[in-house]
Amino acid sequence: MDRMRWIFFATLAIVGVGGAHAAETAMTAEQIGQVERVESITIPMPGEFFTAIGKLSRPDWKNFLRTGTPVATASRAQIALGLGTLVADGYVAVEAQDGQGVKNIGKEIINLAKKLNVSQSVLGRGNSLNDFAENNDWSALREELEATQNEVKLDMEIQKDGGLITLVTVGAWVRGMEIASGLVAETYTPEAARLLHQPAIMTYLLDQLAAVPEGMQKEPLILDLRAGLEKCQSEIAPETPSFENVTAVHEVMAEMVREIIINPEES
Amino acid sequence: MIKGLLFTLMLAGAVQAQEEPANVQVETPDTEISARSRVLELAGAFSNDGYKIRDGFWAGNLEPDRPKFLEVNLFSGNEYWFSGAATPPARQIGIQIYDAKGQPVKIQTYEDGPVAAAGFVPEVSGQYFVGIRLLSGEKSEFCLLYSYK
Repeated sequence: MDRMRWIFFATLAIVGVGGAHAAETAMTAEQIGQVERVESITIPMPGEFFTAIGKLSRPDWKNFLRTGTPVATASRAQIALGLGTLVADGYVAVEAQDGQGVKNIGKEIINLAKKLNVSQSVLGRGNSLNDFAENNDWSALREELEATQNEVKLDMEIQKDGGLITLVTVGAWVRGMEIASGLVAETYTPEAARLLHQPAIMTYLLDQLAAVPEGMQKEPLILDLRAGLEKCQSEIAPETPSFENVTAVHEVMAEMVREIIINPEES
Repeated sequence: MIKGLLFTLMLAGAVQAQEEPANVQVETPDTEISARSRVLELAGAFSNDGYKIRDGFWAGNLEPDRPKFLEVNLFSGNEYWFSGAATPPARQIGIQIYDAKGQPVKIQTYEDGPVAAAGFVPEVSGQYFVGIRLLSGEKSEFCLLYSYK
């Protein structure tokens, strides 16, 4: 069925069947207990966060572009976290419509991925990012950034590096939260602050961090991350976090990102 | 907005209606189309209206009277479409969205046999549950993903 034909029939069906309504029955306690989580869909990407923020204000995304070289460390955990933060930075560059910035970040993502021994297929993603950036195809870039991250994670899964998958997710989320909370704090409104109310994500990330291999859990960086996320959990618990809550989250997240991107010997 | 999407689809439909003879056979046998490709086809229609498709997807088996639920975390103000598809012998599926307490929320629906979608604009950020259920047919494979803008 070609695309136009599909749209035609979709239209008929929507007009004929669709409408605004609420489902008739609530979930049972048993059903809530059996809810599934699939990380690649349960956890939103930073781009989703930034899209929501962009509807409430007009952030100057260029101010949030990060420059510099990737983390120089032998710690695979730190590399994975750093890779996650770069994915979030990629979304910032897309929001800033900075093609060269996207290319640079894409290159850095691939460089870090190489250090984690990912396959050739991931390296091809770097070319796609370049091509889309060259054509200013911002919408495609948002999807490609996520696809690149997922491809890296798939490779990690094949290599049975499940702990690293968690760390890529945590890195992206922490950097995304740092940027988002900074933006909200700049021009605080209750409406914008409500975007930070994501307690289930914090719980999920903490659960995942508690499940990484024991050796990794003892790394000082991972211990600090857990402590930081636990602190933020209470700050974002209110449906409308206060200005003080938001600034506290920003300080913790900024400190965690700083720890992720610096050389351990510099700390 | 969802109204904008509907308008776009209706406009496209009106144009198409003039181009296509009424008696053209358009259905490809269901067995030839996987749930994932069908759901991507549906989500593709939404992307024409600026929705970005998440790269991840949720797949599994659906059985009669045994709905399945997935946790998602959404942002207030964003617009979402959750699209699902099932393979034969599924004949009809439905998608619903619930808040963190399991209460149903107000959604826009699209249901076309084994393909369905639910549109939702959350007023509160946070945890939600997406439910997919087999309304007609027997045990079958399904795939669900979402788009946002």
